[in-house]
Amino acid sequence: MKASFVSSSAISEAMRYSLMKTQVALAKAQKEQSTGFYADKGLALGARSSQSVSFNRELERIKGIVDSNAIAAMRLSATQLTLGNISDAAQSFLSVLTTGLSGNVQSSVITDSAKDMLSTLLSLNTSVAGEYLFAGINTDVRPINDFQDPASDNRAAFDAAYQQYLTEPGVDPANPFPTVSDMDKFISQYVEPQFTAAEVGGSWQNWSKASDQLIVSRIALNETVETSVSANNEGMRKLAMAAVVIGEFLSMDLNRDVRQSLVDRAISLVGQAIGDVDKLRSQTGIAEKRVSDASERLSLQSTLLEKNILATEGVEPYEAAARVSDYLSHIETSYAITARIQQLSLLKFLS
Amino acid sequence: MSLSTALNIAKSSLQNTGVQTSVVSRNVMEQNNSDYARRTAVLSSSAPGARVVVIQRATNDQLFRQNLSAVSSWSGQTTLYTGLDRLELYVNGVDNAQSPATAMTQLQKALQTYSASPSNRILADAAVDAARQVVRSLNDGTAALQTFRVETDQEIGTAVGELNTLLQQFKDANNEIVSGTRSNRDVNDALDRRDAILKKISEYIPISTFTRADSDMVIMTGDGTTLFETVPRSITFEASPAYAAGVPGNKIYIDGVPVSMSTGGNVSSGGKLASMLQLRDSVALTMQSQLDEIARGLINAFAETDPDPTGTLPKLAGLFTWPGAAMPEGLPSSLVSGLAGQISLNTAVVDHPEYLRDGGFNGEDYRHNSDRGSSYADLLIAYGKKLDERMDFDPAAGIGNKASLSDFSANSIGWFQGLRQEASRAAEAKEALAVRTAEALSNQTGINVDMEMSMLLDLEHSYQASARLIKAVDDMLSALLAAVR
Repeated sequence: MKASFVSSSAISEAMRYSLMKTQVALAKAQKEQSTGFYADKGLALGARSSQSVSFNRELERIKGIVDSNAIAAMRLSATQLTLGNISDAAQSFLSVLTTGLSGNVQSSVITDSAKDMLSTLLSLNTSVAGEYLFAGINTDVRPINDFQDPASDNRAAFDAAYQQYLTEPGVDPANPFPTVSDMDKFISQYVEPQFTAAEVGGSWQNWSKASDQLIVSRIALNETVETSVSANNEGMRKLAMAAVVIGEFLSMDLNRDVRQSLVDRAISLVGQAIGDVDKLRSQTGIAEKRVSDASERLSLQSTLLEKNILATEGVEPYEAAARVSDYLSHIETSYAITARIQQLSLLKFLS
Repeated sequence: MSLSTALNIAKSSLQNTGVQTSVVSRNVMEQNNSDYARRTAVLSSSAPGARVVVIQRATNDQLFRQNLSAVSSWSGQTTLYTGLDRLELYVNGVDNAQSPATAMTQLQKALQTYSASPSNRILADAAVDAARQVVRSLNDGTAALQTFRVETDQEIGTAVGELNTLLQQFKDANNEIVSGTRSNRDVNDALDRRDAILKKISEYIPISTFTRADSDMVIMTGDGTTLFETVPRSITFEASPAYAAGVPGNKIYIDGVPVSMSTGGNVSSGGKLASMLQLRDSVALTMQSQLDEIARGLINAFAETDPDPTGTLPKLAGLFTWPGAAMPEGLPSSLVSGLAGQISLNTAVVDHPEYLRDGGFNGEDYRHNSDRGSSYADLLIAYGKKLDERMDFDPAAGIGNKASLSDFSANSIGWFQGLRQEASRAAEAKEALAVRTAEALSNQTGINVDMEMSMLLDLEHSYQASARLIKAVDDMLSALLAAVR
C-alpha cells in the first residue's frame, strides 16, 4: 500500500505547477512571436549581451555617419559646381585675353570680361545651410570682399597702393606707366603683395576672410577627409589679380608695349589659375568619391550588422509560432485532465 | 460470561471505530495542509478485545531533510535572481535604455553629427545634452545602486528579525514535544508545527538538524554554527541608514559567528540571508566599480591637452569633471569609489557649448581652434576616436583590464546579464528540485482523500457489524431472560 501512495494535494499541486510554468512560457512565446525578438534579451543571451549591445551601438553610429556623410557630400557637390563655374569663367576670360593680344578687340571688351571674372569670383561666397562653402573652417564669415564695391577693404587697399605709387619720385601721375619696366615694378611692388598671404607679408586678408584650415569630416569609423576648399587658394588669388590689373589699367592710355606686357602677364596668370582650379576640382572629386565610397561601405556594413543583430537577438518566427500553439494545446490538455481528475473521486460514488 | 465478553468486545470495537473515524476525519480536514503529516490509528489486539494503541504520524526523515535543503537553495537562488531583476531595472532600465552604454552611444552619435556641422549651435546643444544624459545615467545608476543596497540592508534586518521570531516559536514547539514525549502525551500536532517552522527557517539559512533523546532537536547552520540548542542562539544585525559607494555593509552574526555571503550566479550556499549579503556587498559593489570606471574613462577621454603636441601644459578635466579636478591630481588615474556619483558636466559648457568644439574649458591656453573658425571639427573627431581607443581599467571591476571605453560599457552589461542568466537557470533547476522533493514528501506523508474514504467505508462496515453484534447479544440475552421469567 505504501509503495504506490500518492497524496491528493501532490496531484493537484503538480498540475498547478506545470500549468503555471506553461502559462509563463506562453506569455513569453506570445511576446516573441509578435516582436520577432527574444522576450528577455538579457536572459536569453547572457554574457553575449555585450555583443548585442556592441552591434546595436555600431549600427547607430554607422547610421549617424551615413547621415552626416550626406551633409559632406552636399557640400562637396556644391563646391564642385562653383569651381566649375569659376573654371568656365576663367576659360572665357583667357580666350578674350588671347584674342586681345592680336589687338583687334576693343579694350572695353577685355575690361568688361575682367569685371565679369571678378563677379564670378564672388560665387566663392556661396553658402549651403548657412555655411559659407569656401571659408575654410571660418564658415560663418563671408569669405570674399567685393572689389567692385568702392567701400570694401580690398578696393580701398588697392586704391591706397596706387596713390602711394603715384607719389613716388619720378612718377608722372598723368602717365604713370611710360615703360614696361615701370609697369613691372608697380605690379611686383604694389599689386602682388595685395594677393599674397599675410604670413609672407602680403595683405590678401583684405580680399578674403577665409581660413586656410579646411573642414575635416569623419566619413567612416576610422577615416577622415577634408571636405571643403578655401577661397585662399593660389588659383583664386591669381584670377583675382589678373582680373584686377586688366580691369583697372587696360582702359588707361598705355603704349603698345606696356599694354602687351600687361595682357601677357594676365594670360600667364589666368593660365596658371586654370591649372590650379582644375587641380582643386579633381581634389574635390576625389573627396566626393571617398565620401560616397565610405557611405556605400557603411551601408553594406549596416546591412551586415542588422543581419547579425537579427541572428543574435531574433527569434525564428515559425518556431515562435509553433511554440505558442504548442503551449496553447498543452494548457488545454491540462485543463481537460484537471476536469477529468475532479470527476474521479470516490466521493461521487458514496451516497 | 462469553456473551458479556462478546458484548464488551463489540463495545470496544465501537469505541475504536469512533477514534479511527475521528482520525480519518482529521486527515480529510487537513488534506490541503502541506505541513500536516498523515495520521494512522494503529490497532493492536489484546485480550479481551482490540484497542487503539497509538496514533502514528507518517514521516520520512530523509525526504524531509532533502526538502529542507532544496527549499533553502531555491530560496537563496530566487532571492539572488529577483534582486538581479530589480537591479537591472534600477540601473540599466528596460532593454538597457538607461544604461551608460546606451547613453554613450547617443553621445558618440551626437558628436559625429556635431562634427559634420560644427558651426551649428543646435547640434552643439544636442551634443551637450547627450553628454548630460551620460552623466545622468551614471549619477542615477549610482544613486539607484546605493538605494538598492539600503533596501537590501533593511530586508536583511527584517529577515533577521523574522528568523529570531521563528527560533522563538521553534523553542515553544520543541519544549512541548520534549515534555510531551516524557509524559507520553500525543505530540503529533507539535511535531507538525516544528517541521513547518523548520521549513520556514531553511528559507532564510541552510540548516542541518539532529534529534536527541525525547525528540529534542538541535539546529545547526550549513557551515556548522549552532542555531538552536535547547534555547535559540541570538542572531544580530545592524542595518545602516545610508551607504557610501565601495563600503561593504554590516555583517550578520549568528552566535557571534559572521554569516558568509554566497558567491556566483549559481549561488554556492542556500538561504535568503547569504544571497542578500551577496547582492548588497558583491553584486552591487562590482556594478558600482564598473560605473566608476566608466566615469573615470569618460573624464580622461574628454580631458583637455596642450594644443601644441610638444607643449608642457598638464592634462586637465574637460567636458566631464569631478570634485578632484580642483585638486593637484586633476584627473583620476585609478579606480575611485563613487566617482560615477560625483562626475558632472563642466558648468562652463552650458554658456559656452563651443568649448566642446574648440577646447578651452581650462582657459585660452587650451584652445585648439586658434583661428576660431566655426567649422573646426578636429577636436570633436578626436573625442569620438578617444572613446574607441583601448585604455586601462581596474581588474577589480570584473570585466578585464584593457578595452575601449565603449566596449567596457557594453561588457558591463554582458557581465551583468551573464550573471543574471546563470542565476535564472539555476533558479529554475532549484525550483524544480524543491517542487519535486516537496511532492515526494507529500506522497510519503500527505493524504489521499480516496484512501481515507475507502477507510471510512471499512469503518462503517465494522461499526455496523459491531452494532449488529450488540443487537444479537441483546436478542440472545432477552431470549434468555424471557425463558427465565
